[in-house]
Amino acid sequence: MTTTEELISQVLQGLPVQVKRDRRIFIPVPRNDLIKTVNILSSELNINHLSTITARDTGKEIELLYHFLLNGVVITIRTMCPKDDPTIDSIVSIFPGAVLYERELNDMLGIVPKGHPDLRRLILPDDWVGGYPLRKDWKPPQESEE
Amino acid sequence: MGRVKLPIGPQHPALKEPENFTITLDGERVVDVDIRIGYTHRGIEKLMESRTYTQNLYLVERICGICSYAHVVNFTQNVEEVLGVQIPKRAEYIRTLFLELERLHSHFLWLGVAGHEIGFDTLFMYTWQDREVVQDLLEMISGNRVNYAMNTIGGVRRDISEEHRKKVLEGMDYLEKRAAYYKEVAINEKTILARAENVGILKPKVALKYSAVGPTVRASGITVDIRRDDPYASYTETPFEVITTDTCDVLGRVVVRVLELFESIKIIRYLMEHLPSGEIVVKVPRKIPEGESISHTEAPRGEDFHYLRSNGTEKPERYKVRTPTLANLPAIAEMLKGAYLADVPIVVAAIDPCMGCMDRVLLLKQDSDKPGEIIEGDQLRAYGIKWYAGRGWKA
Repeated sequence: MTTTEELISQVLQGLPVQVKRDRRIFIPVPRNDLIKTVNILSSELNINHLSTITARDTGKEIELLYHFLLNGVVITIRTMCPKDDPTIDSIVSIFPGAVLYERELNDMLGIVPKGHPDLRRLILPDDWVGGYPLRKDWKPPQESEE
Repeated sequence: MGRVKLPIGPQHPALKEPENFTITLDGERVVDVDIRIGYTHRGIEKLMESRTYTQNLYLVERICGICSYAHVVNFTQNVEEVLGVQIPKRAEYIRTLFLELERLHSHFLWLGVAGHEIGFDTLFMYTWQDREVVQDLLEMISGNRVNYAMNTIGGVRRDISEEHRKKVLEGMDYLEKRAAYYKEVAINEKTILARAENVGILKPKVALKYSAVGPTVRASGITVDIRRDDPYASYTETPFEVITTDTCDVLGRVVVRVLELFESIKIIRYLMEHLPSGEIVVKVPRKIPEGESISHTEAPRGEDFHYLRSNGTEKPERYKVRTPTLANLPAIAEMLKGAYLADVPIVVAAIDPCMGCMDRVLLLKQDSDKPGEIIEGDQLRAYGIKWYAGRGWKA
């Protein structure tokens, strides 16, 4: 393990840190602990780079992966969000760089980041009514008409 | 005079890819910027879920026309990690060679675009001529100038011959001379200094706050480079420096990219002089086991981030791509605040968001009583013919 990974394991002692391989760390947390965990990464590890946020439709839930970067180590917070209540606390107040990534989640998977300052459409057209394209049950409009 | 909202884009001479910047002006000063993207969204992430890994190799390469190779390297690295496959050393060297050739052609291209944006078209002509040397090398080895189709899962598809090796080294000698010339130009040429110095300021704190990437943050004095921090391909063994400047302006972004040319040339020379012998590809199964992987590379524009989730079939369950330009957009808004309207094109171009030229579609009629009128293409043409006819020209 590199020193950065040792430091991370030390600081995040109370959390279920999984070291997948060198420079790849995953931290699964419940949805309600997201802000708390992100705060720890920001204030105690001084992480200042959010690479992006990945979301994946797993069926009943949507898996959210927040990828942070510290000295070449990718630290990913993993959390789940049920489809019947697709809300999650926005992290924009801690990482302003998340502003576009959360709008993208809102467009493509219908995730609603609570407390986001500006939830307009980002990628899809303003008048889009065709649902959330990256959900697994989504079909392109012309196919569903047939 | 009150504040004016000025829409720039989605189609605009200063933008190649359609984006929309709604700029709020107070006189000539920018006070606020709103960015709208998505005009060329192609649904690649969704499309990848319905294609096999082999088909996706070619789809991923078409995410971008300039840094296509960074994407395909990320994709193959992700799949190889899930498979647990180690590619041959020679293949790693060839991948690194292409990554650096790509950086060379991208930076030469950018330098030309930056010159063009500040009305210095001589620089544009010079750099694009030199870029052809890189394009010829890429074509010689891969058969293509762009979208090289070099990678396959488990290695690379084409080998480098002794003749290729010599030609690449010759090309580097020429490009090094040219890069030295551009270094002189970037530091001393009055046109560049007048338009780039103290323009588009991005303080280190702000760059970090908005998670910006690549040469954009390195010009704000932040030493971040994925090649050094999280080495992939053969970057663990190739010697290079991470270039930074602390001027935080457009000039800094010019200097960083020009100096990175030398580092790329240094890396390519090392690779060509130490190229290991052996196989270039290992055989891999078509079905990829269940798993997940993160791969990120230092593309010419900054960190290019890919995530793969596989489900044991021939097709990915989820594939996520975050390109460097998206990461740099929030920072652009900050760089533009307080800038002059005339500096908007060069500040936007300074993050290198794939720029180009398009025709104008909006004309403000000054002889009209109305404050301004939008004229569409056909009307504009008719207007032009009438205007010239009134001055004795015949259509």
